Amino acid sequence: MTTITNDREFRVALDSLDAKRQRLVATRFVESVLPLCTDGRIARAVRVAADPDADYSALTEALRVAKATTLDCHTRCGAEGDWLEQAGYFVARAAVAALTPRCQMPGGMAWQAAMSSRMAQTSKAIVSGEETAGQESEAQYQILAEFLNA
Amino acid sequence: MSAALELGINAFKEQIDGPVVAFFSSCVRCGLCSQACLFYTETGDPERTPIHKLEPMRRVWQQEYTFWGRLGKALGLSRPVSDAELAEWEPLVYDSCTLCGRCSMVCPVGNDIAYMLRKMREGMAAAGHAPEGLVGATKRAVTLGSPMGVKLPALQTQIRHVEQDLGFKIPVDVAGADYMLLLSSMEIMNFPEFIRAVARIFKHAGVSWTIASEAFEATNSGVQIGVSDIAAELVERIVAAAARLKVKYVISPECGHAYMAIRWEGPNLIGRPYDFKVLHIMELLDQLREAGRLRTTGREVRSLTYHDPCQVARRGGVVQQPRNLLKMIANDFVEMPETGTMNWCCGAGGGVSSNERADGLRLQVFKRKKQQLEAIRPDALVTACSNCRIYLEEGLDEYGMELPVLSLTETLAEHLVDKG
Repeated sequence: MTTITNDREFRVALDSLDAKRQRLVATRFVESVLPLCTDGRIARAVRVAADPDADYSALTEALRVAKATTLDCHTRCGAEGDWLEQAGYFVARAAVAALTPRCQMPGGMAWQAAMSSRMAQTSKAIVSGEETAGQESEAQYQILAEFLNA
Repeated sequence: MSAALELGINAFKEQIDGPVVAFFSSCVRCGLCSQACLFYTETGDPERTPIHKLEPMRRVWQQEYTFWGRLGKALGLSRPVSDAELAEWEPLVYDSCTLCGRCSMVCPVGNDIAYMLRKMREGMAAAGHAPEGLVGATKRAVTLGSPMGVKLPALQTQIRHVEQDLGFKIPVDVAGADYMLLLSSMEIMNFPEFIRAVARIFKHAGVSWTIASEAFEATNSGVQIGVSDIAAELVERIVAAAARLKVKYVISPECGHAYMAIRWEGPNLIGRPYDFKVLHIMELLDQLREAGRLRTTGREVRSLTYHDPCQVARRGGVVQQPRNLLKMIANDFVEMPETGTMNWCCGAGGGVSSNERADGLRLQVFKRKKQQLEAIRPDALVTACSNCRIYLEEGLDEYGMELPVLSLTETLAEHLVDKG
């Protein structure tokens, strides 16, 4: 029975996964924050990423769409920021990480997806004022443990 | 003459100093600056020749400060600069120039054309001819402390979340720290992983540092729009925070114009030298490397190239430091053609990225960067400016190029011995 209690264990466990399993667990991290993104393109891209049988062309197209969405929803330099919209931007970035080929993301797709998902929650916390530090990482430890134990 | 135009003309007159007079007097109209400007090379539009963008200010100089110009004006033989003309010039001065300074590098008589364009913007802004996006950013910088409206509670939340992940405190308002780190709003909003990366590197290297809650913003919209009073006020905020915390150094983050503003323009804007030194984050990291305080592990298997942010490299002189750092982690580092001080701009500096009207042109001129990258076909593109980073991503997407864009600080943090 695997348990994960901190980022060090979390990262070691993620690094041990092959590319496909990284993508699948990364997708679960994104799904955990998906309601924060109102752009339907990301939900569709995440569905592709979550499909264990998705082929190369479907994944490539989903990545292209997710990247384009990310660029559409970042806060432009000098523009007034909206943290709720910014939460959506980080969800989109998490989806990009989940879909990026491993060779282009040596730091780890799942790790990057986890980080971006946490940033999405942080953006939401900035708006709500709620103290949520650490909650998303705890949720991710749980997601990964369940994934590994399944 | 309208009141706004009069303000603009007076601002031009105030900006015409010794160097500007020398530069206007010595221009031989060779047009070489056009070949150095991506807004000309990628559009072929002669209106976008750098020296031509200065034409209204040149005419004010000629008509007000030269014998023949004054005579012509007295006899009614010269055409005064009009409001309509300034309106016509606004896209040339703000949309078609990133203040990258490449034109200044090639001028055969040594004219610093970028310096003059920076001054030209003072007159344009005073006359009410500055882009809406930059006006809004500047107002927010003055009233809220950030051009993007990032307030202290937002940064504090970001910091708390990063601390939770890292398991150690990020120093805020620590008096007597050696280094005071500034952050750009772009980093806080779009790339908060930079904060995490810096915190890890500084902990690893044993750096005594702090963020100042009263002055965390690095960027200076006053410099970009061309309003020196505002630019000076923004610099003063940093100076006051540095004095209060008694720091020895102020660190500019991965932001090009912020570095230029605080390091090179700042003391001139406030009219006195600083009691501290300013370093770009690349300079500090390279000093740590040299002192043996950065220990990295593993190397990038991807081929990496480096995009020199104009204000960091060409206008700032920080060219070798990022390359030294890249050598620590890159197996295959490859230079683009025309790099370092002669690198081509990403097309989004100098306030262009804040100016929605310039979006189409910005993407059009990105063709030059595309050509540079196609010549070497790297696996990843590294840079040290968050503005360059996001607009490089946009440009690459526009031209269908699959290439990740990385922050050098964040990439370095990924290779620290104590990975975490």
